[in-house]
Amino acid sequence: MKHLILITLTLLALSASGQSNYEKGMQKAFDLWSEQKTTEAANLFERIAQAEPDDWLPPFYVAQIHVLSSFSEKDKEKMIQHMKTARDFLNDAQRLTQDNAEMLVLEAQLLTAWVVYDGQQYGMKYSSKIADLYQKASQLAPNNPRVVLGKAEWDMGSARYFGKPTQLYCEDIARALQLFTTFKPAGPFHPQGGKEYAQQVWEQNCNQ
Amino acid sequence: MKINFTSNVIIFLALLSTSRIISQESIYGIVTQKNGTPILGANVYLEGTYDGTSTGVDGTFSFETSETGVQTLLISYVSFETKTVTAQVNEMRDLKIVLRDDVNSLETVVLSAGTFEASDNSKVSVLKPLDVVTTASALGDFVGALQTLPGTTTVAEDGRLFVRGGDAGETQIFIDGIRVFTPYTPTTNNIPTRGRYSPFLFDGITFSTGGYSAEYGQALSSVLLLNTIDEPDQEKTEIAAMSVGGGVGNTQKWDESSLSVNASYINLAPYIAAFPDRNDWEKPFEALAGESVFRKKTENGLFKWYGAFDTTNFELTQEDINDPEGVRFGLKNYNFYTNANYGVALGNKWKAFVGGSYTYSRTDIGIQASDIGNKENSVHVKTAFRKRFSNRVKWHFGAEQFVTDFNEDFSEDASRAQYGFQNNISAAFTEIDLIFSRNLALKVGLRAEYSPLFRETTLSPRTSLAYKTGKDSQVSIAYGDFYQQPGSDILKFSTNLQARKTQHYILNYQYVANNRIFRAEAYHKQYENLVAYTTKMPTFDSSFSNEGNGYAKGIDIFWRDSESFRNLDYWVSYSWLDSERKYQDYANRAQPPFANSHNLSVVTKYWVDSWKSQLGFSYQFASGRSYTNPNEPGFLQARTKAFNNLSVNWAYLLAPQKILYLSVNNVLGYNNINGYQYANTPTANGNFNRRALRPAADQFFFVGFFWTISEDGSDNQLDNL
Repeated sequence: MKHLILITLTLLALSASGQSNYEKGMQKAFDLWSEQKTTEAANLFERIAQAEPDDWLPPFYVAQIHVLSSFSEKDKEKMIQHMKTARDFLNDAQRLTQDNAEMLVLEAQLLTAWVVYDGQQYGMKYSSKIADLYQKASQLAPNNPRVVLGKAEWDMGSARYFGKPTQLYCEDIARALQLFTTFKPAGPFHPQGGKEYAQQVWEQNCNQ
Repeated sequence: MKINFTSNVIIFLALLSTSRIISQESIYGIVTQKNGTPILGANVYLEGTYDGTSTGVDGTFSFETSETGVQTLLISYVSFETKTVTAQVNEMRDLKIVLRDDVNSLETVVLSAGTFEASDNSKVSVLKPLDVVTTASALGDFVGALQTLPGTTTVAEDGRLFVRGGDAGETQIFIDGIRVFTPYTPTTNNIPTRGRYSPFLFDGITFSTGGYSAEYGQALSSVLLLNTIDEPDQEKTEIAAMSVGGGVGNTQKWDESSLSVNASYINLAPYIAAFPDRNDWEKPFEALAGESVFRKKTENGLFKWYGAFDTTNFELTQEDINDPEGVRFGLKNYNFYTNANYGVALGNKWKAFVGGSYTYSRTDIGIQASDIGNKENSVHVKTAFRKRFSNRVKWHFGAEQFVTDFNEDFSEDASRAQYGFQNNISAAFTEIDLIFSRNLALKVGLRAEYSPLFRETTLSPRTSLAYKTGKDSQVSIAYGDFYQQPGSDILKFSTNLQARKTQHYILNYQYVANNRIFRAEAYHKQYENLVAYTTKMPTFDSSFSNEGNGYAKGIDIFWRDSESFRNLDYWVSYSWLDSERKYQDYANRAQPPFANSHNLSVVTKYWVDSWKSQLGFSYQFASGRSYTNPNEPGFLQARTKAFNNLSVNWAYLLAPQKILYLSVNNVLGYNNINGYQYANTPTANGNFNRRALRPAADQFFFVGFFWTISEDGSDNQLDNL
């Protein structure tokens, strides 16, 4: 009995200390990210990823940071580097989670980055794949605000391109905004952001 | 007891926490490039722990750790090789870390001599997969698109690839690394052929105009490598309605596998009824084709199966200077090709590939009163291995076997003849890639082939070297020996011959930056052991020898720019070729009719956003081709006038899934002449009359409507055009 309790306590202590390291690390990475120290944030997520090889969140965030960096990068060579690094970590994260709508949305964003990089070459190639990813994501998680927002924004862009009315997608964006207020992430470090961006999309497209 | 237990726990927990407080070690140092430049933002950490940091502006790093003993420190940064340092933690002080360039990165020199790539992934890609189908003059034929690249000559009445002074038979085509024995639909004089295979099953095309890898043999001048798509994007159904026929396609996807099937039917009868051409068609060109690709992923590998069947027939009477009635020609062809291959990672950086193909082809030809029927059964099996010793040293080797069984029946009136040949070729190759640095790479290979038919062994050394001369430019050189057996047109009459041989010397300069590519390539190619014969055409009565020889030299220039003008993408190819050879029945060395001196192609694609349309123009110029004028002394001494062709196309995106496509070939209606046919006998005043060989029709119009039905309603067939 004594030994059993001892073992249990030891395990608890160990896991508690592991947990706190993880929490500290993740919190620090998010802090760095919010301070615009994206390289440091990505590096820290990468370190956490190698220390916690079964957790999909750290590689997911490394990929997310590189996708966002590629959107803001002007230098085409660096854009490619960001997109390739994002792809590597996205692949790592994909191996650790199945049927995950957040992963599908991130992959759609990565392919969108390629379309931004060279629309002539990748626009035709990836547009169907992107639509397909959002379609699958909304089947898996119809009430995830990032899924609703991403799909609506993509569909709106396609509709505008073909000169079709875009107003009906504003309903989806409004719904996404609503969902952001009630969304409960699966854990403290699970994806939960995007509300500010949704607000921005609304202001730019729907607030006339 | 109880006290003891509690104290145990307290001591244990205390130990846990004190160990964290007491034994903090400091790890610090600097990370630089080879030349001493500090690296900012490198990730430095102890493997398997949370302890680490990023380097600062001056490349320095410093962090504390509670780990003890021997640990591994990892230092990583994009486009550099990750470095590890294993040591006692308390000795990891004042470290000076130098990161080596990652030679896998985009900045590394590429072995590019001779090779053109059409793919998404390669920086040196000169064509994009879409170009194959959106080039105005190509009419959806991948061979047509490749004819706009330098190194090819315009032989408008033939339709096949003629590379650097070589004839069409000197180019071999491979699908997923496995040879295609009968890549073109057979046709007759003055009716250009097309590649059999539909362009949208492939996503990578490599076209090498010389100096290619030891992996490929039985090609004197060129190889064209087609790779089928590994994984289709989504399930869809495609429907095409065209002025010359129609097609349907369907793709199904499952978790680990996918299947694509398509079928097409082409019939030129309605078109020829509306726009009669110079031939007198009894049965206009008709073709039915089906293709299928199945892919299955395994844990570490990918299995692909490809199958294609097509049947073609037509019958016509063609003008002939020696026969006022014209010459009747009829053709029926059945072709079946299947290819299966499996590529797998074996672990420890070994990769294996096994594959094979089987071809069955039957052709029945009727010319006037003669009937010729032939059957070809061919098999190719191949196995290859790759071992990556490091990013800098890679080894590739393998073995393959080709088997061909060819039989022909000839009958005219009462006479009848049967003949054919069987040919086996065994081959093995080995090749090493050495990447010394981002600036210098070398490939060295050797290929050996044995032919029991000729009782001949050939050895072909191949090598290429690339050196980076600047941030965006590089120079490469290549050398190789290439052997190819004579074609079935010769082997069916005589097998007492040797393999033909070429040697390639190539010097290539390439500049790639910011969506602009410039390439210039100079080459010299030496031909030996070409097949010569004593009659006008190869027959049973001919006496054959390997006494032919020749050379080809020239300069190929390519420029592509999709950056300078908004929505405009264009490329320009120019080739200068000087080639002479003595072979077949040539009395002396001469410039063959398929090797004209100057070829120019200009291809433009302009996207008009407000019209949702892509407008394409392609212009081709080819200097005059040689022919023999029997009214003057000499052999192949005369030249036709130059060839000109301007083609336009318009692809209109009606809706995301519906595309309307129009194209016109030779829109300005140039009167092109491919050559002349002279009478066999002179007229009373001693002159030989002649007839100009003109295209069957000067112009060609094409209208198509393409519709894709996919689950999410967004895919389109722009890439099918």
